[in-house]
Amino acid sequence: MVALVISLALFFDFTNGFHDTANAMATPIATGAIKPKTAVALAAVLNLVGAFLSTEVAKTVSGGIIREGSDGIQITPEIIFAGLMGAILWNMITWLKGLPSSSSHALFGGLIGAAIAGIGIHSVNFESLMQKVILPAIFAPLIAGAVAYLCTRLAYALTSRHDPETGDKLTQKRGGFRTGQIFTSSLVALAHGTNDAQKTMGIITLVLIAAGTQDVGSGPQFWVIAACAFAIAIGTYAGGWRIIRTMGSGLTDVKPAQGFAAETSTAAAILSSSHLGFALSTTQVASGSVIGSGLGRRGSSVRWGTAGRIAIGWLFTLPAAGIMGALTAWLVMTGVVGIVLAAVAGTAAVLYMYLHSKRSHVSHHNAVEVEEAGQAVRFRKKKAIAVGRGNTKPKGDLS
Amino acid sequence: MKWLELVQVAGATLLAAGSVVVLYSLGVRLTAVAGDIRENSPSWIRPLAYACFGLCGVAVLCGLYLIIPYFSG
Repeated sequence: MVALVISLALFFDFTNGFHDTANAMATPIATGAIKPKTAVALAAVLNLVGAFLSTEVAKTVSGGIIREGSDGIQITPEIIFAGLMGAILWNMITWLKGLPSSSSHALFGGLIGAAIAGIGIHSVNFESLMQKVILPAIFAPLIAGAVAYLCTRLAYALTSRHDPETGDKLTQKRGGFRTGQIFTSSLVALAHGTNDAQKTMGIITLVLIAAGTQDVGSGPQFWVIAACAFAIAIGTYAGGWRIIRTMGSGLTDVKPAQGFAAETSTAAAILSSSHLGFALSTTQVASGSVIGSGLGRRGSSVRWGTAGRIAIGWLFTLPAAGIMGALTAWLVMTGVVGIVLAAVAGTAAVLYMYLHSKRSHVSHHNAVEVEEAGQAVRFRKKKAIAVGRGNTKPKGDLS
Repeated sequence: MKWLELVQVAGATLLAAGSVVVLYSLGVRLTAVAGDIRENSPSWIRPLAYACFGLCGVAVLCGLYLIIPYFSG
């Protein structure tokens, strides 16, 4: 059972990686600062490095949300198994829809659902849940968005150049921001590694403690850190191209200076919050930053329809992952047959979604340019029709 | 709700992101000024631009130093 839970936890780490590649790399890919393949490779390496940097968050994962320990309820590997299953399934569904949803929320939701179903509603500390998960979910995008808005304004104000005599606009030469984006997006990837890989480390450590192979209150062991680091790096390299498309071109059209401001705000928010012990969701911070920077650049528009779709996805993350976690928990409670059934059903569902995704393939070659390509094709069609009708305009006019 | 921590996070985020963006933007602007062919800009502009980029890098490293427990304990 312990081995099964650990492998499931590592798989969750993998989905977390490819779900969140977009947070770091969507904007530089959208502005053309880094080639898509290079971007995910860079993000993977930095996630790997980031995972080794700190284990502060790992010690507090799920801490307090589910009452555990000697005086509370004993959390079993079965409950964790069910929670992870719920989280993985929800991650896969949102990936299929191209929604950047929070992997940490999926994890918390799954665990809470499994705990309620397996132990009872009294096992969940709702006050702690409110404080650690729900309120930060409201404030994370707000803080990141506001900071990104201000930074975008600053960046444009500082680099706008006018001719002192005529007042005409000079060439703005903001290309330098494209180079800067390489560094800022790397910083976001690093932050993601430190932040998110630790959640899985925490889970595995929790399982090991629950199984009695590790002392209560000790930090993650080295092989756990290494395994989690590699799982998230491989996941990142796999690249969640669907979500990259949503973040890179679905919310707003990103320009280099704007992307630079958004990434800086994202990295600053994640790093400062995780350092000050106020864990914010990477995904929510990144989405907030992209929207905030879109508001900050004059002449750009935010697609509120997409933003609304993402917000609804966030609302559903906790309960949906919870329901799936609860269902798995009930199945697991029935005994060995239930565990096998749950494992098989989960694997089948993940495989089905993977195969389903193959039908409408989104990959590094079409993750962001898709929209432009569509317009180009449509444009050409119109031209063809015009020519076909026996257009009276001279041919040279067509371009 | 730990409002103090929330304010702290917001402040730290604004400070860190703001300083990095300001320094880098100044660097970009000064590079652009130095690159103008029409005016012959003073010769100290380009080194100043590089200094801005450098300071920006230092700011980032400083932030990382503060965060990674291995260094700052």
